[in-house]
Amino acid sequence: MLDARMQGLIQAIVQGDSKEAVRHAQNLKTCGITAQEIVVSGVEAAMSTLDEKCTLEQFNLLEIMLAGRAVTEVMKFLYPGDSAPAGPVKGTVVLATLEGDVHDLGKNIVKTILTASSYRVVDCGKDCSLRRLIAATEKEAPLAVGISGLITPVIPLVRQVKDLLVVHGLDGVRVFAGGAALKQSSPQGLNVDFVAESAFDGLHYVNQLAGHSAAGGP
Amino acid sequence: MNSLERITATLAFRKSDRVPVIAQVFGHAAAVARIPLNEYLQNGDKLAQGQLAALERYGYDAVFGFLDANVETEAVGSTLYYTPSHYPVVEKHIFTAKTDPASFAVPDPLSAGRMPEVLRALRILKNEVGSRTLVVGCVLGPFSLVTQLLGMEQALYLVQDDPARLASFMDFATDTAICFGQAQIDSGAHLPLVFEPAASLSVVPPSFFEKYDFPRLRRIFDAFSCAGAVANWLHIAGPIIPIMPSFPCMGVHIAHFDYCVPPLEAIKQLPTTCLDGNIKSLTFLHSSSAEIEAEAAALLDVFSERGGYILSSGCEIPPESPAENIAALVRAAVRKAS
Repeated sequence: MLDARMQGLIQAIVQGDSKEAVRHAQNLKTCGITAQEIVVSGVEAAMSTLDEKCTLEQFNLLEIMLAGRAVTEVMKFLYPGDSAPAGPVKGTVVLATLEGDVHDLGKNIVKTILTASSYRVVDCGKDCSLRRLIAATEKEAPLAVGISGLITPVIPLVRQVKDLLVVHGLDGVRVFAGGAALKQSSPQGLNVDFVAESAFDGLHYVNQLAGHSAAGGP
Repeated sequence: MNSLERITATLAFRKSDRVPVIAQVFGHAAAVARIPLNEYLQNGDKLAQGQLAALERYGYDAVFGFLDANVETEAVGSTLYYTPSHYPVVEKHIFTAKTDPASFAVPDPLSAGRMPEVLRALRILKNEVGSRTLVVGCVLGPFSLVTQLLGMEQALYLVQDDPARLASFMDFATDTAICFGQAQIDSGAHLPLVFEPAASLSVVPPSFFEKYDFPRLRRIFDAFSCAGAVANWLHIAGPIIPIMPSFPCMGVHIAHFDYCVPPLEAIKQLPTTCLDGNIKSLTFLHSSSAEIEAEAAALLDVFSERGGYILSSGCEIPPESPAENIAALVRAAVRKAS
C-alpha cells in the first residue's frame, strides 16, 4: 500500500522533475507518512530504479543530474536546515577530489546518491590536500574514502592515500576511486581497494562494506 | 609518401605506404620542447615550437594548433585560473542561466583572449611543415562550449528548465565555432577538428544529440567545407555508438572513437567513413612501450583489410606520459608496413 502511494514521487525523481517530486513529498507528508518512510520507500526506491537503468547502460549525466536535483529538493523539504536524514544512517563515507583537480561534479553526484541511500557523507571538497583528507578520515572513522578524479595528474596523489591511511592506523578504512581519468585504471594501478565505473558502482561497493546487498538497503 | 599524402590517401580509402598516426599530443609537446606548460598555453610562438619539437621527435603525421578547451569561453569573457603545471580551469563563467546571448558579440578571433595566439601558431605550423604534414586547428563543439560558458550543471539543468534559452546559447556557440574555425583555416589549418566531449552519451542521451547537436554540427561542418577545410573531423570522447550512423549526414569525414567503442562496432556503424582511435589514454601512463606497440598492432590488424584508418589514442595522451610510449605508436605503424 505504501509502495503504491510512493509511485508518483518515484516517477518524478526518475524523470528529474524537482517541482513534481516535492509536490508528491508534500502530499505524502500531509497523509501522515513520516520523512523517514518517504526516504526509504520513495527516494531510495527511485535510486534503485535509476541504478537499474545505469546497469543497462541507458544512463547519462543529464538524467542523473536532474534526478539528483530532485532528490536534493525533496530532502531539503523533508529535513529543512539539515542536509542529512535524521534517521539512522548506514555508515559514513568521506569524499574528496584531490589537490590539483577542481572538477567536483562527479564527486557531488556520488554524494547525492550516497546521501539519498542513507549514508552520511563528509565532503572534503575539491582541490583537497592529502593532509586534509587524512585528518577528516581520522576524525570521522568512515566505512570508506571515495576519491573522484577527472584529470591524470592527480594519480600520484591517489596512489598515496592507502599508504597514508595505514601510517595513521586507519588500515580498516577502504578506499575507492572513480571519475573519467581514474576509472580507466585498476585498483592495482591506483593502489586503492576498488575502482568504480559509475556513481552507482561506487554505491554498490559501499553497500557491500556496510553489509547491505542492494541499493535500497534492508 | 609524406604525411599529407598518406592522410589524403587514407581519407579516400586508397593504399598508402603505412597507416597514418595522429597522436593527440597537446600539453606533452611543451615538455618535449622544455617549455613551461603555462607559457606554452599562452603564447602562439611557443605552442608552435612545442608542436614542431614533438613532430620532429616522434615522426607522426599531424600537428595541432590547440591550446586547451577554455580558449573560446575565455574569449567570450569567462575568467580562467592558470596554474604553473596544469591546464587552466574556468574560475568564473561569463554566462548564467538568465543571460541573453544576443547581448554578447561572437568573439573576434583576431583579438579576443588567446584566439590570436592559436592563429599565430597555425601560421607558423603551416609555414614550417604545412606542405607535408597535416596542420590541425580545433574548435569546441556547440554543447561543449555552452558547458564552458555556463558550467556543466547549469547547462544540463537548462535542458529541462529552459530549452529555448539552451537553444539560443547553442546557436551562439555554433556561431563562435564557425567564426573561430574559419579564421583557423584562413591562418593555415588544413582543417579545424571539432571537439565535442559534452555530446558523449555518458553526458546526454541520443535524443539530445539529435535535437540540439546534429543540426548545429552540420552547420559548422558545412561552413568549414565552404571555407576550404580538406576534411571534417569530429571528436566525441566516451560512448557514442547509437549516434555514429548520423555522422556522415553531418558531413563528417573523419570520426574519432574512444577506447569504450570496440573497433569492429565502429566499423559496423560507419562502414565508409575514415576512423581514428582508440588506445585508452591512461595506457600511455601506466603501460610499457611494448604493451602499447602490441595494442596498436592489434588495431592495425583489425583495419588492415578495410583501410580508412588513422592510428590514435582514445583521447588526449596525458602530458606526463613517457616519451617512449608515444614513440611506440609510430613504431607499430612503421613495423606493420615493413
